[in-house]
Amino acid sequence: MNAPYFKFGYFGDEISLIVAFVIGIGFGFFLERAGFGSGRKLAAQFYLTDMTVFKVMFTAIVTAMVGLFWLSVFGIVDLSLVYVSQTYLVPQIVGGLILGVGFVIGGYCPGTSCVAAATGKYDGMIYLGGIVVGIFIFGEMFPLLENFYTSTAMGSVTLPELFGMSYGLLVFLVVLMALGGFAGAEWVEKKFSKGTSQ
Amino acid sequence: MKALFSKLSFNQKLAIVAGVLGFLAIFAGSPYTGNTATMNVKDLALLVEREADHVSVDELADWIIKGKADYRLIDLRSEKEFNEYHIPTAENIPVGSLTDAGLMRNEKIILYSEGGIHSAQAWFLLKANQYKAVYMVRDGLAEWKDRILFPSLAENASAEERVVFEKRKAISIFFGGSPQTGTGDTKATPQLAMPKLDMPASSAAPAGAAKKKKKEGC
Repeated sequence: MNAPYFKFGYFGDEISLIVAFVIGIGFGFFLERAGFGSGRKLAAQFYLTDMTVFKVMFTAIVTAMVGLFWLSVFGIVDLSLVYVSQTYLVPQIVGGLILGVGFVIGGYCPGTSCVAAATGKYDGMIYLGGIVVGIFIFGEMFPLLENFYTSTAMGSVTLPELFGMSYGLLVFLVVLMALGGFAGAEWVEKKFSKGTSQ
Repeated sequence: MKALFSKLSFNQKLAIVAGVLGFLAIFAGSPYTGNTATMNVKDLALLVEREADHVSVDELADWIIKGKADYRLIDLRSEKEFNEYHIPTAENIPVGSLTDAGLMRNEKIILYSEGGIHSAQAWFLLKANQYKAVYMVRDGLAEWKDRILFPSLAENASAEERVVFEKRKAISIFFGGSPQTGTGDTKATPQLAMPKLDMPASSAAPAGAAKKKKKEGC
């Protein structure tokens, strides 16, 4: 049996919803275990006093990347079937900045606000309400935004294609970047948390 | 060496594992399984038997009306025939240039030709090349004309048949066809004008591929 299971038709739409539910619960559980159910911990990332968010996210990226790479080299996963979302460069940069600003102000990103709300934190629930309002406004405004939303389309590109390098070399470079990032993060943490008492 | 390794923290050991796997990745070659993959004959035979790879013209019409954009509809006929008429939202890729036309293996691909033979052959070509979600329009464009564009109702049709026909009529008009009522014999209407191309295509596919569902999230 090869992955991805859904694309190969090992299970249908209904089962896929159950699988998505289980994965979602697991995702939320580990976010909570990493301490991401607390807006303080998440906001600390932006004041450089606590780099946990950076470390957890980069660990996830490297684990998934190395895992997918080797699983597909051994023929267990068909990488060409894994969904790569489309790139719209400028709108996605703008969207990323908006999300980042909301992240700093609200202390959560969409996923972690669900975790916070699930553990009964009021700020998480309010944040979640804000997401719903935001989605509604965006949906209503979409006809106005559509031209911008679909501008600078690049299709589904991956970094190896973009830079014209081999897939393996890119994996290695990202791993190096992550390892360097971890070392840098520890250094930054020490430097910036000196003044503040933890 | 062993003593040195045991002194490292668990995180440092994990970092070393990541580093080694990343370094070896340089020499592991491309992770994409290319054209050399073998095809599972039994698997394909079962697919054929179950007819899981068929899309009826009714389903297709329904999807086009609803503006679903999660598939690519491929017209396998020649460019000339394509320009005369094609099913709205279709793109023209003759069989010969199928595998280098930039179709992605993870896309839902629906094939049609005049009848059913070319699309069935193209289906095998794509399946053997590891395209996963490939479908054929059952009986092709001929069936599309019969059932969607020019549905007909016999004079002695039952009440039930008439109700069904009313639905078909609406669909037919949407696609610019002309429903045939009254005469049951086809000789009376030898020349059925094909609908103009720009009519349904513009209303049926508002934003095309740009409206793909987002599947990611933080």
